[in-house]
Amino acid sequence: MKLLERILKYQIVTSLCVLTLGAVLFYFSVDYLIDLEVNKELMRSKTKVSWQLRHIDELPVYILQLGDSLQLDQVRYPGQMVLVERKLFNEFENEYQPYRQLTFYERVEGAWYRVTISKLLAQRQQLLEAVVMTVTFIVALLLISLLLLNSWLSRRLWRPFYRTLRALDSYQVEKHEVLTFPKQHTVEFDQLNLSVTQFTDRLAATYQNLKEFTENASHEIQTPLAVILSKIEGLFQDEDLKESQIVALSEISEAANRLAKLNQALLLLTKIENRQFLAGTEPISLVPIINRKLRDLEDLIEQREITVKTAIEPTGPVMHPALAEVLVNNLLTNAIRYNVNGGTIDIRLVPGQLIVRNTGAPIHIDPELMFERFRKEGSNSASLGLGLALAKTICQVNGQTLRYETEGTWHILTVTW
Amino acid sequence: MKLLLIEDEKALATSIQNYFQRENFICEWAADYRTAVEKIHIYRYDCVLVDLMLPDGDGLDAVRELKRNFPETGIIIISAKNSLDDRITGLNLGSDDYLTKPFHLSELNARVQAVIRRRSFQGSQQIRFGKIQIDPQEHLVLVDQQEIVLTRKEYDLLVYLIANKNRVLTKESIAEHLWGDDADLMDNFDFIYTHIKNLRKKLMDKGCPDYLKSIYGVGYKFSEQ
Repeated sequence: MKLLERILKYQIVTSLCVLTLGAVLFYFSVDYLIDLEVNKELMRSKTKVSWQLRHIDELPVYILQLGDSLQLDQVRYPGQMVLVERKLFNEFENEYQPYRQLTFYERVEGAWYRVTISKLLAQRQQLLEAVVMTVTFIVALLLISLLLLNSWLSRRLWRPFYRTLRALDSYQVEKHEVLTFPKQHTVEFDQLNLSVTQFTDRLAATYQNLKEFTENASHEIQTPLAVILSKIEGLFQDEDLKESQIVALSEISEAANRLAKLNQALLLLTKIENRQFLAGTEPISLVPIINRKLRDLEDLIEQREITVKTAIEPTGPVMHPALAEVLVNNLLTNAIRYNVNGGTIDIRLVPGQLIVRNTGAPIHIDPELMFERFRKEGSNSASLGLGLALAKTICQVNGQTLRYETEGTWHILTVTW
Repeated sequence: MKLLLIEDEKALATSIQNYFQRENFICEWAADYRTAVEKIHIYRYDCVLVDLMLPDGDGLDAVRELKRNFPETGIIIISAKNSLDDRITGLNLGSDDYLTKPFHLSELNARVQAVIRRRSFQGSQQIRFGKIQIDPQEHLVLVDQQEIVLTRKEYDLLVYLIANKNRVLTKESIAEHLWGDDADLMDNFDFIYTHIKNLRKKLMDKGCPDYLKSIYGVGYKFSEQ
């Protein structure tokens, strides 16, 4: 739920409660005031009636207000003055209506009279209606104005917030960008934007440092490795070495070679992630790359009796040629390395898609996990475990997708652009 | 043959110098850009090995200097930088080859010999070893004047072995020479063995003595003894 919708929800609930409470309070206070007024009027009428009774024999018609009625009954004994409320039948309106009655006793020329003044309480009915109507109207008005206000707020006042949100949403740390925003009138948004700017600035700097460190480290390792390897090679030429020394030296050589390869692969990976290989504008054809690679690997394909089927059209994605080379290389190498002797490789290149399928031993984990660095199924010691991670990274920086699926003994790698 | 090595890492420079001295090459060493330019202008070299990152300058400037004044000198860039741009700049400037650190000395040796061969006159382009005679331009291999037919990899292997004759060659260096980055595809190096076996058989069938010696646990040695 959007923030403004949530606010609106609470605003509506609160205003409904307050308005209901207010309406009730309003009703009772007005009712009380009217009551007071009615009673006062009744008492005034009483005074007038008493005076008239005592001083004038005849009661004039205009003595009471319209709608009120006066009743005189002769009684033997006087009683208490009573003020009651009761429903009486109103012939004019043809229904029962509430009246307030004041009954008192007056002695005129030696005889007791019971005087009853009835006052119609029609105002109260009207009052209730007026209160309900007014409150309903206020509620409706309030709701409409709240909705309008909120939509206006979200359009105007909250616009910078949504802009910041969108910017953060599409933020990619690999692009080393720092988010900057124009000055805002709202202090909070200004603070938010400032924090975001500082945050992304720090992030970009940290990321850059990390990348530089990785690259420098990898790079600086190359020279000592070159020294080690050259010294080992020099030692191998020494004819006085014992066989056990030669074996140890050969193992050192193998490890150092492996380290060198690993380092180079990591360096390449870092460079790709650093976007040091920018794509051109024209799509490059993968056909010559695939053909060259297959020719390079023909010995190996022959030796392992692998059948290669190709269905390739002259097409390809927009990317740096060197990366295309590495991508094709890794996909094909992978298809050969994890193939079975006498297996098949099926390469299909159509516009928008490159599919490399190969037969191989079934894997027992989620194929997507094979894209993780140093992930190897089985113990193929010659492999660095970086090939597919490299392929995946290349696809990621170029906006392509790389999928790994298995279908029985078939392993299917699909690049889509 | 006279080489100049421009390299600031002393330990590596010594190894390279030792390696080429065994080849009866004169290998001089310049540890920085200034010395290198001095030497370039005083002496004549057949081939110059240039490291790109020097303490007092860019190796590419040395390449430019050489190209301008001594275009006949062979140039090989040896660099820890593997970036494509550097490689292309280097080759565009006229360097003959580009080798990324770390490399096998035997590989460097083979490349140096290839560069010198390409740059020398027609007559001396032939490779000779014992009864074997190779014409690199024609990819033609003769043993006692009879042609033997080799596959591309077998040919590459033979040229590499002769370039590094009388030396122990590790299986890794052979694999990397033949397959480059795909070398790690060759599980257990059985694959090299197949090529070696085929090559040896083809040579011996034409009356070649067995020049190829297997060194246990390490690799191979190509020699006349």
